[in-house]
Amino acid sequence: MTWLPERASGATPLDRVFGLRPEAYARFREMYAGLWDAAVIDPAVVELCRLRIATILGCDAERAIRYTDATEAGLTEDRITALPRWPNDPAFTTAERSAIEFAEQYVIDPHGLTDDHFAALHREFDEPALATLTLAVAMFDALTRMRLALDVEPIADDPTPVPGPRSYAGSLP
Amino acid sequence: MSPTPRLATPKGGATPFDHRPELWAAFNRFYGTLWSEGVVDEPTKEVGRLRNARVTGCGICKNLRFDGARAAGLTEEHVAEIDDAYADSDLPARWKLAARWADQLINDPAGVDGELRAAMLAEFDSAQIVELTATVTTAIAFSKAAVAFGAPEDMPVLAVPTPSLD
Repeated sequence: MTWLPERASGATPLDRVFGLRPEAYARFREMYAGLWDAAVIDPAVVELCRLRIATILGCDAERAIRYTDATEAGLTEDRITALPRWPNDPAFTTAERSAIEFAEQYVIDPHGLTDDHFAALHREFDEPALATLTLAVAMFDALTRMRLALDVEPIADDPTPVPGPRSYAGSLP
Repeated sequence: MSPTPRLATPKGGATPFDHRPELWAAFNRFYGTLWSEGVVDEPTKEVGRLRNARVTGCGICKNLRFDGARAAGLTEEHVAEIDDAYADSDLPARWKLAARWADQLINDPAGVDGELRAAMLAEFDSAQIVELTATVTTAIAFSKAAVAFGAPEDMPVLAVPTPSLD
């Protein structure tokens, strides 16, 4: 549970912490929803990157969330379980591998990203998708660090389906 | 720096993120709210942002100066002290704490200990801690985007308007 002595009202632990700055939180949710636009990029790719970042940074609160935008796009729990083996597991497509590799390197050390990484990404994603993927990875990095530093508790102990951010405008898990 | 853009800026745009103009506009409304509609003074947030820029090694971010922080008293002499010896510098204690908080968010966000929590709570209220944390973590993420896209290693210092809703 967060160590902040004050709480905002809200349905979720994140609402009660980030909601202490309500205008910023509302605009964050608006922006966050835009990361999950299936017309631009497969939500399963976005979700795999979010979950990989959560694991790298060790964030149970992020790992407990399963956005249904991604599960409805075909992301199964079996594939999520296989995520640590993404480089060689046949459960993952070339596009997913290139995105997950990008997300890992971005979080650990962006100086390690090369022209070859981007060449691989350009083979799989058009420019709007790549802009979205980059901003998604950036904001997952940011929100995960914030959850950890402020001890925002998980919504549940086990993986929990949550309506995708695009249909969940008033709150985030 | 990459000889060719890793993600080109679209015609008529200002950044590669303009490939998603509505999403980029939403990001800027969020970041502008943190900076210009905030409850933490700009110099304190700017110290946190610049500490990150140095640690993350973003040649663009570390040379940008938000003009609101300058107008509120953050000088180039102060900025020069946000180096690895900032804890022993003449910077005000509040700014040293902002730099320390940035280091924690970068290096070990899960490892905030009781002493640092107490120091933060003695200096800031809960809403201010949320805002400072959101601002610095967003700056961390955004510096990484600049690096990922192949930012130059250095450039001249450049004062720019503080992000706002305008």
